[in-house]
Amino acid sequence: MDGSVNATVGIPPGVTEETAAFWAAAAEGRLVVERCAACGTESFPPRGLCRACRGREMLAAEVTGPGRVYSCTVNYQRWLPDLEVPYAIVLVEFDDYPGVRVTGRLRGCPPEAATIGMTVDVGFEPGPGGFAIPSFVAVPSGRGL
Amino acid sequence: MVISGIGQSAIGRQLDRSGFQLTIDAILAAVADAGLSVDDLDGLAMFPGGGAANLPGYANGNLYEVQDALRITPRWRQGFVEGMVLPFFGPALAVASGQARHAVIWRTVKEGSAARKAGGRPAYGATKPAAEGPLAWLLPVGMLSPVCQVAPFAARYMHEFGVTREQLAWIPVTQRAHAALNPDAVYTKPLTVEEYLSSRMISSPICLYDCDVPCDGATAIIVSAVETAPDLRSPVRIEAVAGQVEGRPSWDQWEDMGRVGYAAAQAMWARTSLGPADVDVAQLYDGFTIECVWWLEALGFCGPGEAGAFVEGGTRIGLSGELPLNTWGGQLSGGRLHAGFGHVAEAVRQLRGEAGPRQVAGAEVAALGNVGGFEAGAALLTRW
Repeated sequence: MDGSVNATVGIPPGVTEETAAFWAAAAEGRLVVERCAACGTESFPPRGLCRACRGREMLAAEVTGPGRVYSCTVNYQRWLPDLEVPYAIVLVEFDDYPGVRVTGRLRGCPPEAATIGMTVDVGFEPGPGGFAIPSFVAVPSGRGL
Repeated sequence: MVISGIGQSAIGRQLDRSGFQLTIDAILAAVADAGLSVDDLDGLAMFPGGGAANLPGYANGNLYEVQDALRITPRWRQGFVEGMVLPFFGPALAVASGQARHAVIWRTVKEGSAARKAGGRPAYGATKPAAEGPLAWLLPVGMLSPVCQVAPFAARYMHEFGVTREQLAWIPVTQRAHAALNPDAVYTKPLTVEEYLSSRMISSPICLYDCDVPCDGATAIIVSAVETAPDLRSPVRIEAVAGQVEGRPSWDQWEDMGRVGYAAAQAMWARTSLGPADVDVAQLYDGFTIECVWWLEALGFCGPGEAGAFVEGGTRIGLSGELPLNTWGGQLSGGRLHAGFGHVAEAVRQLRGEAGPRQVAGAEVAALGNVGGFEAGAALLTRW
């Protein structure tokens, strides 16, 4: 742990050549996926390879959201010492980025308020090992996609 | 190919013996069960190989130590993690190609003891300093256990089809009743729907009783060439097995979380003239209740979204129902022997008529579904 204030307890990611850009952008509060230079399709997680046409030239594409919750869970179990519970996890998809689904925490509402189909904004929070982790922000009902 | 032998060590919440000794117990029991001698074994496999250890007590022993201790000269050996499909799949391929005649595969867990030592069920990946591969997207955000990783599947399934916890409760409740007839089961005290509904939530909508029970124990399974059948005590036929997977291979990226296992099930049915109506007993993977649901629907015992109504009341999946389910208690009550090993052992017992007070009368065809998602495997075993 890096001693960050209020950092979420957890296990940090192992960073690879393919994923370094994602975590660097995350530290700046930006959600970055890969876009194929040849066919324009977005891929996530980043692998340096287009899942549509198998092209090898991938560019960074920023996802600005909002997104929609495909599914979710509220975790109540303290899997690690000092892990604060409960918290909601959301799997988020984006209308303008088909095939991209990003998993993160949810804030801006009580964990139990997480629901499938709810609208969320992109965000990050301090996570384990000094990494910024995806932490989506609940959008008040009434503001749709 | 046939399954010629099954063997199990003692099984318990915590056992005061090493995983290696439990492994040897299971292998020797399987050899005796098959009517073979250790010297007949010429194929060796285990799950997991390569020291894959994401959970304390998850991986045990070492293939070479077993080989050395039992003085086996294997013509084929393999450790499995990815794509095991079902425990007997790899050994059956080795036997079918003539590389081995009697191949044993085993799985040993000491997760019960490890959980006790850790003061609770530990985080998946806690044995490693950083999350690698697909887990790099799950563990850092707090999906710290398979419970959290599978929970969104259950949430999505229940959302899409309107299936309720009151309905799904009947899977663990009915399996507990089966476990009461299994002296080797970890939990045998009756469980009620009310107890299920009032149990604590682990990762919604998965509650305590939706989770399998970490335990200690070993299971060994021997696959033999069909021409050796006259030498075998009581072989069981491998009618069909398949492990095709249709979705993205990680827990959060699987595209359609309401439907799991369909490709494996269809590939399996394509390899046999039998159909769902021919199945007498089903041993379907139940690391979590929802995984059982996947297989009930994927294998065609009911339609998509119909599993809630199918299991409600427990009659259909009871011992005298149309599809007796996880007759040993499953992993939910019998113990997390993991990766289908306990399920295969019970399927073999049922087809031999050796399941004692929980025997399904006239069981001739057993269905198996293993894990789910990107590690799916489906199979049919039949009486010899």
